Amino acid sequence: MDWIVIVEKSIFGAGAALGFGILFNVPNRTLIYIALLGLTGVCLKNIAIGLNINIILACFIGASVVGLLSMVASKSKHSPPLVFSIPGVIPMVPGIFTYKLMLGMIKLTGETGNNFDTALDDTVSNGLKAIFILMSLAVGVSMPNLIFRKESFHEMTILSRMERKVKFSKRVKRHKRI
Amino acid sequence: MSDSPQEQEIKALGLILLRTGSMLMSNGASTARIRMTIDRIANNFGYDADLFITHRALTLSLSDKDNDHTFSSLKRTDPQGVNFKIVSGISRMSWSVKEQGWSFEQIEKELDRLTSIPHYPRLVLLLLVALAGASFCGLAGGNPLAMCICFAASFIGLFVRQEAHKRHFNIYLCVFFAAFTAAMFAGSFCKLFPNSDLEKAFATSVLFLIPGVPLINSFTDLFDGNILNGMLRIVHGLIIAFMIALGLVCSIAIYKF
Repeated sequence: MDWIVIVEKSIFGAGAALGFGILFNVPNRTLIYIALLGLTGVCLKNIAIGLNINIILACFIGASVVGLLSMVASKSKHSPPLVFSIPGVIPMVPGIFTYKLMLGMIKLTGETGNNFDTALDDTVSNGLKAIFILMSLAVGVSMPNLIFRKESFHEMTILSRMERKVKFSKRVKRHKRI
Repeated sequence: MSDSPQEQEIKALGLILLRTGSMLMSNGASTARIRMTIDRIANNFGYDADLFITHRALTLSLSDKDNDHTFSSLKRTDPQGVNFKIVSGISRMSWSVKEQGWSFEQIEKELDRLTSIPHYPRLVLLLLVALAGASFCGLAGGNPLAMCICFAASFIGLFVRQEAHKRHFNIYLCVFFAAFTAAMFAGSFCKLFPNSDLEKAFATSVLFLIPGVPLINSFTDLFDGNILNGMLRIVHGLIIAFMIALGLVCSIAIYKF
């Protein structure tokens, strides 16, 4: 794994997420979290690709972690999770694959014979990757919401139960100390 | 004709709820969130709210617990934009209503305040979106020169889009103009310096236009069972994507790549 490339790409991920946060006019207090989410998502995706995981699955992992962290951030910053999650996954959008898909489709209208076959191979391969990556991003980012949300994050069960346990154990320790 | 106090109250609440809902819809909230927020406010005042949500109109039917008084109305929703300050502000407001017992006047005042919150300054917006464009180029593996070109292309593209919005062009046409301008700008460098590997700048110069909010919201809606709204949003997102592609195709045709 080439760590320098991963670090570099993570920083670009933060930049892209930040730009889109500004474009969507997010509240000022959430900007730093959005940049961090973009960084985390791209970093995880590239690490997963470095571990020879399929790029579609890698994007899914990145997107679901971003979705999960956006729920945590939404609780501490009092904004809906989508404010964090949408700018957070945008750096993972497969721009080059989509571009190649489009170029390939233009090529397919003009080519004949053997050239057509190679163009078809490339187009189908790039196109399927682009479509499945996009779908895995959308599904991955909304998955944590579907799993954990009851009515809304404020009434979420699992995390608040964990929080209560932490508070309770702290109280017990304090009592013991006294 | 004068209404009884109860009728006046239910009417006032109904109008507030419709305004809240349409603000959420036109600023990029998912359907489940709109329903949840409106239910939360209505239940707090002791009413039941039933909603029919589409992307261009909102139907609300409000009734009190004994069904003595009802209010039904339809409100047109403004065309789609994205403004998460409003979505986030309304979400906070609904909790204040529930926990601090806000009055109708306070809610009205908060909604007025939220609509009047300014966007980020135009130059900041342009520069940071251009930074996002350059970052996309970097993510795709472009060299520093390509990133600089992508920065400038995104800057010009977003500028064109804003100007087209100001002149009230069709929103999809605005996207086309922006994509075409950005691609023409980036493509000119690829044409002038054919050996310096700038194709990535050309490919990523239009990525600042990607319809992230409609596409992700559409999946959220589809999984929540709001299939109609999910399909509406996905079609909206795909038309934007198609317009981006059209802008790229036009400049490819001109430069004969």
